[in-house]
Amino acid sequence: MDNLAGKKSGLSWAVNISVAVLVLLWLFPTAGLFVSSFRSADQISTNGWWQSLFNSEQNVTLRTANPDEPGVQVLENGVYVIRGNLYGVAGKAEIGAWGVSSRAIDAYVAGDTADLGDGQTIAVQANGDYVWTSPTEMTGRGQRVFATAQTPPEFTFDNYRSMLFDPSNSEGMAKAFFNTLTVTIPATIIPIVIAAFAAYALAWMDFPGRAILVAVVVGLLVVPLQLALIPLLRFHLNIGIGKGYLGVWLAHTGFGLPLAIYLLRNYMVGLPRDIIENAKVDGATDFQIFTKIILPLSFPALASFAIFQFLWTWNDLLVAKVFLIDSTGQTTVMTNQIVELLGTRGGNWEILATAAFVSIAVPLAVFFAMQKYLVRGLLAGSVK
Amino acid sequence: MKKSLYLGAAIMALGTVAQAEQLTVFGPWLGPDQENVEKVLAGFAAASGHEVNYVGSDSFEQQIMIDAEAGSAPNVAVFPQPGLAADMAKRGFLTPLADGTADWVKENYAAGQSWVDLGTYAGADGADSLYGFFYKVDVKSLVWYSPENFEDAGYEVPTSMEDLKTLTDQIVADGGTPWCIGLGSGGATGWPATDWVEDMMLRTQTPADYDAWVKNDLKFNDPKVVAAIEEFGAFARNDAYVAGGAGTVATTDFRDSPKGLFSSPPQCYMHRQASFIPAFFPEGTVVGQDADFFYFPAYAEKDLGAPVLGAGTVWAITNPSDAANELIAYLETPEAHETWMALGGFLTPHMGVDTSKFSDAATAKMNDILLAATTFRFDGSDLMPGAVGAGSFWTGMVDYAGGKDAQAVADEIQASWDAIK
Repeated sequence: MDNLAGKKSGLSWAVNISVAVLVLLWLFPTAGLFVSSFRSADQISTNGWWQSLFNSEQNVTLRTANPDEPGVQVLENGVYVIRGNLYGVAGKAEIGAWGVSSRAIDAYVAGDTADLGDGQTIAVQANGDYVWTSPTEMTGRGQRVFATAQTPPEFTFDNYRSMLFDPSNSEGMAKAFFNTLTVTIPATIIPIVIAAFAAYALAWMDFPGRAILVAVVVGLLVVPLQLALIPLLRFHLNIGIGKGYLGVWLAHTGFGLPLAIYLLRNYMVGLPRDIIENAKVDGATDFQIFTKIILPLSFPALASFAIFQFLWTWNDLLVAKVFLIDSTGQTTVMTNQIVELLGTRGGNWEILATAAFVSIAVPLAVFFAMQKYLVRGLLAGSVK
Repeated sequence: MKKSLYLGAAIMALGTVAQAEQLTVFGPWLGPDQENVEKVLAGFAAASGHEVNYVGSDSFEQQIMIDAEAGSAPNVAVFPQPGLAADMAKRGFLTPLADGTADWVKENYAAGQSWVDLGTYAGADGADSLYGFFYKVDVKSLVWYSPENFEDAGYEVPTSMEDLKTLTDQIVADGGTPWCIGLGSGGATGWPATDWVEDMMLRTQTPADYDAWVKNDLKFNDPKVVAAIEEFGAFARNDAYVAGGAGTVATTDFRDSPKGLFSSPPQCYMHRQASFIPAFFPEGTVVGQDADFFYFPAYAEKDLGAPVLGAGTVWAITNPSDAANELIAYLETPEAHETWMALGGFLTPHMGVDTSKFSDAATAKMNDILLAATTFRFDGSDLMPGAVGAGSFWTGMVDYAGGKDAQAVADEIQASWDAIK
């Protein structure tokens, strides 16, 4: 009675825990990236994203108002006074210790008055309010104040704004988005169509040399595509395709085919022989068997390959750079556009996390849409 | 369409046969730099009537090779490294510039002959001609600091290398850390150290030795070069001198390292880097107020003048057309230089420009350093063959910063140079 089907194994808790651990392992960096995408470059380089979620003690350099600006200093009882808040508005952070020299940044505590020499004094309160007094008129820049402050979490939409809505970027991003779709959709459909035909032939049609052909296809899987870039581009230029969409579709098709044929053939070989033989006895041609029986049954394999190929072409930069992007600047893809946003020396790296979340949106949508078909396809296969 | 047809007819009728062409320019600039160069090119488009497209790439070096190999090169390419342009010229991918360009550069650029030499390469047939036109240069011999931090501590800007070393020791004695040095730069990690070594070469050896070193007539493992590497090590391999300790030099990203100048309390007081580095200062940092720079000084006791290390971009024709030649001719006009000067981040050796057009005082001060140089030498690693200047020199410097012996590092770099001869 113990091995009745349906009884839970005693080790299922171990499975559950390891699944949970794996999911967390995968999600943890993504969560970090997500938090980082709402932080400015200075914030990212000062502390980690996990610290940004809580109040943190930070050493910051603040500056009082500029005495040279009109109306900033007022004369009170023969003393020039500047009042204000170091943060602009009160309550943005709570200052603990502070100082006026970079060599002694915690010389005073909130509420103290510091002597600046020449009779000048400055007093700083915990909420950032300061009073700066001087017997003579003050000139020069605002006084630097080094504060050690408890700073609440602060997040910004600036990265998303500059990427999606900044007029100098948004046009390029929109163009790149549609260009990427123009590359990706045919580059996904063409290899699937070709590979499905090829896989059927390699799985179910008898012809001499079939085994060798399968071996060659499997062998092609290990050839790195970098080897073929320049020769293939030269070939394209020689036959007049040049750099452009047709070239990049053909390249993606070529680079995707070995895996596609291999996956689909292995799946099709596993379909029940009886169905196909019955159809042949009933007088069906190979084409009819392929379209009426094999294709519907292979839907799960087709869908999973489509997901692979779509993600690969969507995230691709190398193939697009070689076969598509030319010096006219009219053809660009999302990945290339993101790299360009980084600037000449990669100075705007803070948008990387944001860019990841913008460019991930479409593959995610595709994945969930295809997921549905994938499950339906699996069920259909099992019922028939 | 109709309008342009009439316009075309009118121009034909006038006899000025200026056929409007499409001109493609490919360069390394992206982001704000791209907007700036596009404004310069727009000036050319307006003056010539041609349609100009600029495309930038962060992997320019690889992309231009792919395009040239495949025969889909742009009309004009902007090389950040003359070494790469020389390679391309040798393989027949570049077209010599119009006759007379060399004479113009000689007459109108400060230290004109050196700019001609830097743009002259051997072509596929082995004959030397001028292929590259320099436009937009950077000064590398700069030390950045925060004037207010110097003021707090009572430090003076040093005017000689001896003073700089005294100041370095003084900062350590006062309990501070003098330098921020970071060599990290992704695939190009190590290049900031090559600039240090080049600057030290110019400050310890004659310009002739420097030129010989760049051409490998002076071997890389020569005691003179090893001494220059050790001069760099005197700063970078001393735990007390470098923020975070000598062990962090190779792993700190060069884009992050200047931030130590502005932290509270300051992690360091000085940072040696080229004129472009303010782009990586914290947001809101004003050059001239929050940050300033001084000339990386030379030894007072050595009679080597005031050498300046620099770099620049060289424009070359990769796909000949009339418009491409016109563009190079346009770059000779002061207007082309003044457009970018007004936009900032641009230095030029052109002597005919109106220096009041510089966007800020800091840039003008940098240009003064450039024009006051008794010796100007181009970044040596950019002139060396790619396998050394963008390969073993970089990795060797990372090894050296990590604690390897200078002689051993120099021997390895020389071996890699011998291997490609």
